[in-house]
Amino acid sequence: MKTIFFSGKGGVGKSTLASAVAWQLMEAGNRVLAVSFDPAHNLGDIFHTKLSHRKKRFKKTDLFLQETDLEQSANEYIEANMSLLNEVYSYMQPFNMDSYFNVLKYSPGVEEYAAITAMEKLFREEQENYDYIVIDTPPTGLTLRILALPRITVAWIDRLVKLRKQILEKRYTIHKLSGKYSEKGTKLAYEESEDRVMQKLLEMRERYQNVRNWLESDKNSICVVFNPDYLSLRESQRLMTGVKELDLPMHTVYHNKLDNPNSEIAQKVEQDLLKGRSDVTIERVPDIAEPEPTCYIMDKNLIQTFQENT
Amino acid sequence: MHGGKGGVFARILGYIRFFFSTMDQSHRNKVTEVTEFEVKELENLFVLLLMGSFTGVPSPPSFVAAELLPHLEHEIKVLNERAKDSFDSLADMASLLDID
Amino acid sequence: MTTLIVVVGLAVYVLLYLTYGKKLEKNVVKATDDETPSKRMYDGVDYVPAKAPVLFGHHFASIAGAAPIVGPVLAMAWGWVPGLLWVWFGNIFIGAVHDYLSLMASVRYDGRSIQFVASDVIAKRTGKTFYWLVFFLLILVIGAFGAVLGNMFIANGQVPSAYILKLVAALILGVLLYRVKMNFTVATIIGIIMLVLAIIGGHQMPINASYGTWMVVMFFYIIIASAVPVNVLLQPRDYLNSWLLYIGLAIGGIAAVFSFTGFTAPAFTSFAPIVSGGQPSPFWPVIPLIIACGSLSGFHALVGSGTTSKQIEKESHALPIGYGAMLTEGFLSTIVIISVSGFGLSIIQGAGQDLTVANWGNAYAGAMNASFGAATTFTNSYAAMVDSTFLTILPTEIVKVIAGMWVASFAMTTLDTTNRLGRYTLTEILLPLKDKNEGMFNFLTNRWIASTIPAIIGIYLAWSGSFTILWPSFGSANQLIASIALLTGAAWVIKRQKAKNANIVLIPAYLLWITVTAAIIWFSVIVLPGTIESNPTTGIVVLIIEIVMLIMNFVFIIDFLKNKNKPLTSEA
Repeated sequence: MKTIFFSGKGGVGKSTLASAVAWQLMEAGNRVLAVSFDPAHNLGDIFHTKLSHRKKRFKKTDLFLQETDLEQSANEYIEANMSLLNEVYSYMQPFNMDSYFNVLKYSPGVEEYAAITAMEKLFREEQENYDYIVIDTPPTGLTLRILALPRITVAWIDRLVKLRKQILEKRYTIHKLSGKYSEKGTKLAYEESEDRVMQKLLEMRERYQNVRNWLESDKNSICVVFNPDYLSLRESQRLMTGVKELDLPMHTVYHNKLDNPNSEIAQKVEQDLLKGRSDVTIERVPDIAEPEPTCYIMDKNLIQTFQENT
Repeated sequence: MHGGKGGVFARILGYIRFFFSTMDQSHRNKVTEVTEFEVKELENLFVLLLMGSFTGVPSPPSFVAAELLPHLEHEIKVLNERAKDSFDSLADMASLLDID
Repeated sequence: MTTLIVVVGLAVYVLLYLTYGKKLEKNVVKATDDETPSKRMYDGVDYVPAKAPVLFGHHFASIAGAAPIVGPVLAMAWGWVPGLLWVWFGNIFIGAVHDYLSLMASVRYDGRSIQFVASDVIAKRTGKTFYWLVFFLLILVIGAFGAVLGNMFIANGQVPSAYILKLVAALILGVLLYRVKMNFTVATIIGIIMLVLAIIGGHQMPINASYGTWMVVMFFYIIIASAVPVNVLLQPRDYLNSWLLYIGLAIGGIAAVFSFTGFTAPAFTSFAPIVSGGQPSPFWPVIPLIIACGSLSGFHALVGSGTTSKQIEKESHALPIGYGAMLTEGFLSTIVIISVSGFGLSIIQGAGQDLTVANWGNAYAGAMNASFGAATTFTNSYAAMVDSTFLTILPTEIVKVIAGMWVASFAMTTLDTTNRLGRYTLTEILLPLKDKNEGMFNFLTNRWIASTIPAIIGIYLAWSGSFTILWPSFGSANQLIASIALLTGAAWVIKRQKAKNANIVLIPAYLLWITVTAAIIWFSVIVLPGTIESNPTTGIVVLIIEIVMLIMNFVFIIDFLKNKNKPLTSEA
């Protein structure tokens, strides 16, 4: 399986291109899943069909469509955790738990968390089912945060694991010398295999490391879509720098809505964008005059670059 | 064994055993005391890091904290104790570290 | 004679525990069956009830150290009776009361410290003075114990050698326990075998180095030991130490009972023999500066109100633990006095010193210092006492090393822990500086700077080797804390307990304050000028500390008198 992310400023046509690529890959004989993480959700509009978080087969072809609502996933996640926590802490209130969850609800990161969880699930469960997963991403800032998240999380978990190891080591010492931990009513774990916190940490680490490995592998590619204007240029530059800093693979950028490739602005934008980036090739996509939702039968071949990599 | 010689001996033996086991235990407690304090500080640090958003220190993504929270009952107790007692710890430290 | 004093000492302690102690419990402390913080606030973390005998052992191990051994040896200059009387009655009527009240006040204050209680019943700033006093105490304790250890190490090169081997044994034990994860009992047996080997090895291979060399070694030891994780070195070492303590106490106790030797030291020399800094030192008010632990130690107020009060299971346990453990420590000092009274004279004479019963008052302090120093005078007397009984089967030289290591271990533990506490107290003291000069604050409280300041000043003081100056100055800081803690206890009794018999606490507390104040003034005016002449830096550093403490002491008593009868604003 391979994954392709489409990112870029809102309105540059990343959903359109993602749809076109997904369609063409299917036509080339692949089983393809197109997923939208973009809260704007254009995927359904493009294919003229109503989509939900359940996969939907498109007109009996090998193309499957799905829209993941990040906000909803975030809420579901919070609900699940809250009920678990209330269960555990029902008999004691070391401090005001409820207020903590209120904070959690608005806290930054929950949406990213939902996205990464959904992504992890996709990578894990659908590996055998599809040849390609094409992902339409939310706006740039959120996308970068989502892509960075596995790495940051793993770094944090590593720190926490180290600290936890020290705790367990010292607990072991105490157990060894005074036997206290095995005698007293509340038994504190001193072995890594018995410590639920440690187990949870390691489990989380593995999960995020898997996502991270996948994102950094050559089975993944991040594509940037931009238009011949300075606003989208700036945003694309930020995106490209961000992706490079994260060591994520990026081979193709799409110059979309391009009427005249020789126009001064189009050339300037391309030049600026490719400055010092010999590893990236540009695909020029002409503007489709009519905003017909038929782009998936676009005549330009967009999928060469992905098939070459195979 | 009522009031007989064996009873007296057994009782004396019991006292001796009690004396040594008590001595041994208090002695071990004394030795592990500093480590216990260290563990508590580390546990405190652990939750403090996880819930850094409360105290304004950089913290890991909040969902890491949220996923671990159900298992951190003990650590949160420690955090609570420390929050309550941290201004009054000279005497605690003094009893941990033998000065005279 | 030795046997008689042991028996009389025991009888005095037991009798007064049962009468005076019980009276305190009933009338002043008014012990109840109420739940103690360990149960009421049980959290499995800090507040955990402990069985009374276990807690007693724990508390005793925390308050026992080298000080109750060293102090009484120096106090022998007055003859053995004055020191013994202070160790018995000073302890019973002041020291143990002080420990007991601190513990109980803390218990009634939800396990908060005596520092907190002082802030509540006297004044906010009284609580703050604890940081200063403890910080000074740390510097002076390094100075005093550094000098004790330096003298010990040059007097008998076998002791440092055995001690170093014991540290190696501790490191190995640490590896066996925590890396190899060996069974505890097996590791303990190996540890004890290594301990025995260390004693024999130390005996075989003495290290003879100069006083200055030992000071340098000690300085680096303090720095390194306080940076090493606890379970690598300190924990296994403390574990081995405690075995040493039991062996030492057991041998000493048996020897004192079965040694039917007469005392060779005079019972009484004069009211003001030469003790501190070559000056005639009047018994009153100087004695508390010389014998601190053993009769009264302010440090115990902190220990009792620190972890002990959070673990006490019932209020009725506080008497045996708070009062009883202090009497036990007094008993340890009694054994020290007995052994030096019985054997000190011949031992110091044996070193070629001109000491007789006739010139004892004026020559003892000098001769004792010039020959062995306080600690070794005790350990050699102890070995001689052991030799005078059926325990003579133990080789005397080995007994000397055991006793030497016992005392040295206590003193060494103190040295390397002071550093850990030093940084903390310094940070608290300097906190007001933070707003004014943050750069300076950050520099001074930096890990390496803050934790070496007490070590640098302390070892520098020890370097001068003026034990008879350093020891009383350590005593003065300690007794000042005790005085504040006891007055805090008195204020607590008046304000919270509303006890009718408050005077049985208030009178000793006032007497103590007056004594300590007079002693510090005497020390600063009579003794220190001589020191400043012969050893300017040491004298000036000590004088500055004494003056600051004296000022705090007056501020404190004013606060106390002002607030003594004011109603409390807070609820306990």
